[in-house]
Amino acid sequence: MKTTGAFLAGVVMVFCMAASGVAGDTIKVGLVDTYTGPATTFTNDVLDGFKLAVEKINAKGGVLGRKIEYVTRDDKFKPDIGLTMAKELILKENVDILMGTINSATALAVSDLCKKEKIPFLVTFSKSDKITGEKGHRYVFSMNENTEMVGRATATVLARKPYVKYWIAGDDYEYGHAIANGVFEHLKSMNPKVQLLGQSWWKVGETDFTPYITQILAAKPDFVIVATGGAGMVNFQKAAQSTGFHKRVPFYQHTAIELSTLMPQGPNAPEGVYGTANYLFYYPDTKENKAFADEFRKAYNRYPKSGALYGYLAAEFIAKSFEKAGKIDREKFIDAMEGMTLDSPVGKLEMRACDHQVLLPVFFGVTKKSPQYEFLVAGDIVSVPAKEYMPSCEEIVKARAR
Amino acid sequence: MGWLANLVSTGTLSQVLVGLSRTTILFIVSSGLTLILGVLRIPNVAHGSLYMLGAFSAYTVISLLGGGLSGFLAALVIAPMIVAAFGFVLERGFFSYLYDREHLMLLLLTFSFALIIGDLVKIVWGSEYRSVTVPEFFQGSAEIFGLPIPYYNLFLLLIGPFIAVFLWLVINRTKMGKIARAAAVDAEMVSAVGINVGWVFAFTFVLGCFLAGLGGALIAPMVNISLGMDHSLIMEAFLIVIMGGLGNIWGALLGSLIFGLTQSLGILIWPQFGIVFPYLAVVVVLFFRPKGLLSSTW
Repeated sequence: MKTTGAFLAGVVMVFCMAASGVAGDTIKVGLVDTYTGPATTFTNDVLDGFKLAVEKINAKGGVLGRKIEYVTRDDKFKPDIGLTMAKELILKENVDILMGTINSATALAVSDLCKKEKIPFLVTFSKSDKITGEKGHRYVFSMNENTEMVGRATATVLARKPYVKYWIAGDDYEYGHAIANGVFEHLKSMNPKVQLLGQSWWKVGETDFTPYITQILAAKPDFVIVATGGAGMVNFQKAAQSTGFHKRVPFYQHTAIELSTLMPQGPNAPEGVYGTANYLFYYPDTKENKAFADEFRKAYNRYPKSGALYGYLAAEFIAKSFEKAGKIDREKFIDAMEGMTLDSPVGKLEMRACDHQVLLPVFFGVTKKSPQYEFLVAGDIVSVPAKEYMPSCEEIVKARAR
Repeated sequence: MGWLANLVSTGTLSQVLVGLSRTTILFIVSSGLTLILGVLRIPNVAHGSLYMLGAFSAYTVISLLGGGLSGFLAALVIAPMIVAAFGFVLERGFFSYLYDREHLMLLLLTFSFALIIGDLVKIVWGSEYRSVTVPEFFQGSAEIFGLPIPYYNLFLLLIGPFIAVFLWLVINRTKMGKIARAAAVDAEMVSAVGINVGWVFAFTFVLGCFLAGLGGALIAPMVNISLGMDHSLIMEAFLIVIMGGLGNIWGALLGSLIFGLTQSLGILIWPQFGIVFPYLAVVVVLFFRPKGLLSSTW
């Protein structure tokens, strides 16, 4: 009996030590994201960009003498699963920080949970402007652009162009409407001469855009704003290529110039499509960007896409903020992260204190053939700096008061 | 009256042609679905996944043989064969043991295969988008009243009737087809006269899978070959099959025509709500003919 008791006590002690050891010696980050299905095209890059940065940080001895450790959970693109996974990570895995996800509904649900549990949540890839806008709070941060930012940044460029009759079209769900209406409404306020000729909306996952394209051509607009997401980006460009749409009417798609859209099409993507992106591995042509792209390519044997930047930013902000806070304290971490600037592959970036939105430049460009690569790249790139398009802090305060 | 003006505009003809080319793909996929449903009584939820498998297989064949016309035509034959072979394994390995179970079990099994095929595709081809180019022969577009019709869509317009005739010959002019039709009505009677119904079922299932694979291979140059391309198609295919009459191939043809044309003309009439029209057509058809347009084999 005595030996059993001692043995049990020993087991309990070992468990306690193990538990406290895990919690004490590392900084634990939990990633809730979609790791199965179509969205993985984007989320794998977030994870790999994050891993790359964490490995470098850990190789240099970690943060405050602790290594960064991470666990991943698959939310299967479903908000209820994502929320359950986030709870599990907080309660059972005792994570210090949460990260994710590509699904805006999941991000908003997890954000709400993190507000209650007082856990910092770094959003990667969700594009809803509610995350740092009207539903924003102390514990949520965004590492990427949102629909409102895209709308304003694109409108600033289009407002300088001579087009008058616009047509808007897109995937018939929140993202599609937010992008298309966002661009057009901001454009209208900047250039009152523009008019809306008409609009087309198709179901998410539409594969054949030819009937939509012929109808739009028959209406003869000057310019078309197309808001497709995911696989629809390529589907639309292929239909444009086979109908010669882009040669008859210029059109714009957010992420049209991104690698995820252009690389699968190889050298046969349509030339002259206007698009925006947060990250291009070949632009800006700086030492820092080249180093990041080379490192990523060496590690994963592919070019980094925008997700890689978001994952990298999350890791860097986590490391720098804990370092500045001086200890592993969540509240101090948040104080440290507010207003922090760091060097990134796309230049110096600031985490805006008032809404916890990272201030990214938006690259506006047009697709063109490249002598160097097997796929099209962006040409005539205009970099729209954050200060030219971000909603002001007053607007954010007003949105949150609603 | 704006919509009426749209409908009688110069765009109508091109819109009809584009709608008919969409019909081709819908018919090829839904005829396979309705064939399996009629003869084997399996509502094959994995049919869309087999279509996706056909598209990915076509991608691989075309990348191996080069993007020329010969590579593309080879893919149109080889990719459906790969899917058919896969279907043969599915039927002999799993479904053939379950025909006397209730439909719900078969439905669950097909659903599980939809998930399994999705993950298999992810393991084999990865989660990156894939794309094949329209072969040079079909690149570009013809003009009808100043509006473009891609040559590839015109090619689909030719393929559609060809497949319909082929299916008619197989079903009405071959012994296997005749037995399959008889098995659809009364499988017990067919086996009572000494015919191995199991092989009839296997033949039908493989033919259905071949058609799914062919649909996938034909759509491959038009779309982004990606995980998830099966989801929207399987729903449309089921609606077409239900609208046409369960198990009736000509019903599938009629359903595909209605679906393809209401979509393209709906877009012309009211682009903002174009997606509503095909579904509205389904509602109208089922309201007046709850069992479908043509007689069901069920």
